Amino acid sequence: MVLTPTPEYHRKIGFPRVAAIAYPYGRVVGEVHDSKGQRAVLLEALSVFERAERAGEVYHLPFTWPEEPKETKWHPPEMSPMIRLLLDKIKKARKEAGNA
Amino acid sequence: MQKVIDGFRFVPPALRSWLTQEIPTGPFTGSIPWTELKRPLKELTFSLMTSAGINVKSDPPFDMEREKREPMWGDPTCREVPKDVTETDIDVNHLHINTSYIKQDINVMLPVKRFKEFKEEGIIGRLASTCYSYYGFQLDASELLEKALPRVAAKMSEEGVEAVLLTPA
Repeated sequence: MVLTPTPEYHRKIGFPRVAAIAYPYGRVVGEVHDSKGQRAVLLEALSVFERAERAGEVYHLPFTWPEEPKETKWHPPEMSPMIRLLLDKIKKARKEAGNA
Repeated sequence: MQKVIDGFRFVPPALRSWLTQEIPTGPFTGSIPWTELKRPLKELTFSLMTSAGINVKSDPPFDMEREKREPMWGDPTCREVPKDVTETDIDVNHLHINTSYIKQDINVMLPVKRFKEFKEEGIIGRLASTCYSYYGFQLDASELLEKALPRVAAKMSEEGVEAVLLTPA
């Protein structure tokens, strides 16, 4: 089973059991040293093992990250090599989406 | 009403637009493997696997230098991470996330301590001796799938693993 912050990839790959969580990349189980919060997430994720009845079901877990996205520091300290390489394409995608 | 997760909530708008172009809009139409749960969680042997780029310090780190030279390449290997590992035993290398949180508390991505607690509390059967990490940036996953993961699957089978929690970084 996958505990994922981006369940949309399920449409591309196809996972047997999916627990989706709105937590940032690099901390999908919870905040640093928050054992209580981590346990709550994991117990909910474990319940998906028992609740899922067929391949491909996505369960959206009811947790909310305590910081707003703009305040959430999940990014690497330096822009990744791929993002740097594709920056023009990425900016173009934003323009196209804005024009759609 | 069930909450519906927006998987791009934390992603800047331009990157969201680009990533969205890369993902089909409709549901997955291929075949998905399925194994029924035949026993309750409290009787199952679990393992954990993350794409966070964790290695124990006695093993080689994931190769970031080649990725810096070849930005579309990601290290296609796997590392074993013993279940009793602590933060002082590990290194974390990943060019697409902030790795500092995992170095402070491995459980934010590979929750070994939480699963050992669950074993003691009778919530799961046990956590296998070995957990795993690979490197989540794989635009071409063929080498990972053909070379690294069969060895992982064999080791899981050897250790009696019946269920795996995957945590993508």
